[in-house]
Parts: sequence; structure tokens; C-alpha cells
Amino acid sequence: MESNLPEFGRFAEPSLLILVSLSDGPKHGYAIMQDVERGTGRPMGAGTLYAALARLEERGIIEALPPEDRRRPYRLTAIGATNLAEQLHRLSRFAQMGLRQLGETSP
Amino acid sequence: MIAFLIRCYPSSWRARYGDEFAALLEERPVGPFDVADILLGALDARRRSRGHAATLSSGRGFTMSLRIGGIAAILAGILWATSLVLASGTILEVDGIVTGLLLVAGAVTLLVALAGLSAFQARAHPLLSWVAFAVPAAGAVVSLVGVAGMTFVGDRPMVGDLSPWYIWVFGTLTVFLGSGLFAIVTYRTAALSRIAAITLGVGSVAVTLAVLIGAVGGVPEAIGIVLTLAGVVSFLVGWCALGVDAIRLDRISAAPRPA
Repeated sequence: MESNLPEFGRFAEPSLLILVSLSDGPKHGYAIMQDVERGTGRPMGAGTLYAALARLEERGIIEALPPEDRRRPYRLTAIGATNLAEQLHRLSRFAQMGLRQLGETSP
Repeated sequence: MIAFLIRCYPSSWRARYGDEFAALLEERPVGPFDVADILLGALDARRRSRGHAATLSSGRGFTMSLRIGGIAAILAGILWATSLVLASGTILEVDGIVTGLLLVAGAVTLLVALAGLSAFQARAHPLLSWVAFAVPAAGAVVSLVGVAGMTFVGDRPMVGDLSPWYIWVFGTLTVFLGSGLFAIVTYRTAALSRIAAITLGVGSVAVTLAVLIGAVGGVPEAIGIVLTLAGVVSFLVGWCALGVDAIRLDRISAAPRPA
């Protein structure tokens, strides 16, 4: 399946999880980690989080806001929101196809 | 332990993320999984540290391209609209040299605007953005050749049987069609204002239609004039709005961030 973040390698999936976490507003690193763990049931390590955050920021997909104490929130940019929507639509179509092949109907 | 883990990262990374990373690690206990993950992250950051310096430099270039592209887009819209109105001779008769200079300035600023804004949009959709850059940019170059030909060759054939005027018209039509393509890509990437992109797209299509109707004939002249005026105004407003939006985004990106 084509990815919108092909050069992210092993950080493509963590990056998608981060973008989903930021989709309802700016968050700092710890809040993103909690969001991801709540959503997937798996923890995201701090090393992975910041490797993905750095890549997303470099690509202009997210941007850093002024720090609050020492914690710096991040938010989606316009490009990031478009990128996330495209990825989610593609995943949704892929999931629908899988469910159809299993003979199950989507909820 | 936290200080040791952070020291594993390269200094450029620590300067940017060190403080917030330390704050994050202080918020929860660091277990063996975290240590391994952080060490792998540090390895990744070191591997990319040379590229990171290049990225910082490209980040500065990115905001610069937005600013220059935005200013050039506003100027290009104004120069193209003014020169087209003057070239039509319907509102004001001016010296041909003035119109020619405006056409040249319009083509050059449009090239700068397209390069700057495409560099920004290419961050999300490289192929689409550079195709949308290539078509109007090629049109602007052909239009420049046509203007130069009108100045130095006059009405004589310049390429085959074509006089410079036809070359200029071909280049200008390509600029309008290419601007329409640029508008579609801008709408698709949503990197800049979608309303501005729609306005530019409408203007590009309207002017192209007006020129084609004028060439084919059979349509009342009034319709052609209205279509041309509406198209030129929409083209002008579209480019100016894209320029203003790019400058606004540049200000947001370039805003100083407290350390």
C-alpha cells in the first residue's frame, strides 16, 4: 500500500499515530504518548516519538508552538491535515476491501 | 540517567529538542524499554545529523521561498492584469514600450512567484507541484520571447511563419492555462488558500475562453469583453490572494520561538 510518508521508513506508522493524536488540537510530547497508548494499547517510546516528530516538523507536516514551561506543544499544519486525511481515506478503503473479502460488512 | 541518555544525541538535536525531551522523560519512570528506544533514537539522530544541518538550512530557504513567492505573486497579478488591459487598448492608449516593459516585468515576477510557491507546495506533493510549475513557467518564458521578438523583429516572421505577436499570444495562453493547473494543484494540496485557488482557476479559464471565442468568432462582442474583464479581475485577485496567504504563512513560520 502506498504511503504518504515513504521516506519515513520505520517511523511511518508512529508518524501516522502522532498525526491522528494532533488531529483534535495541539499537544505536547507526553500528551501524544498517552493518546497513542490509549488508542492502540501499545506504548510509544520517547526515542521513537521524537524521531518521528523531528521528521514531521522538517517536512512541514507539523509545527512547534511556543513552549509552556519546558513542554512544547505541536500542531498539524494545513499540509499535515491534508496529508493525514489522505492517509486515513486510503486506510479506510483498504480496510473496507479487507472486510468485503472476508465477507463481513462494515459497521 | 536522563542526562546521560540525552547526551547520546548529537548537539544540534539537543539544542532543538533537548529541554522538552528532558521534561518528557521526567514525567514518567524510564524503564528498560525506554532506554533501548532512546538509544535507538539517538543512533537515528546521529545518523541523520549531517542531513539535519541541511534541513535547517532548507527550512530557512522554505520560509524565504514563501515570502519571495508571495510578494512576486501579488506583483505578477497586478502587472499581468495591467499589461493585458493596456495591450488591449480598450481603456487607455499608452506607448508600446511601456506595455512591453510591463509584460516583461509580469512574466519575470510570475516565474519568481511560481518557483517560490511551488517550492512550498512541493513539500507535500512534489510531482504535482512541479508539473503545475512547469506549464505556466514555460508559458511565461515563451511570452518573454514573444515580447523580445516584437521589440527587435517587429511584425516579420520569427519562428517559421509565426510573427512574435503569435508567439506572445501562445505564451500568454499557456500562462493562463498553466495558472489554471497551478490553481487546481493548490486547491488539491490545500497548502495555500483554497478560495484564492478557485478565484485564480476561474480567472484563468475565463480569459482562455475569451481568447478562444475571439479567435473563433460567432459570439457577440459584448460577451467576449465581459468574459475578458471578469477573467482578468479574477486572475488578478486570485494571484494577489495567494500572495497574501503565502506572506501570512511565512510570518507564522518565521515567528520567533522562545528557547
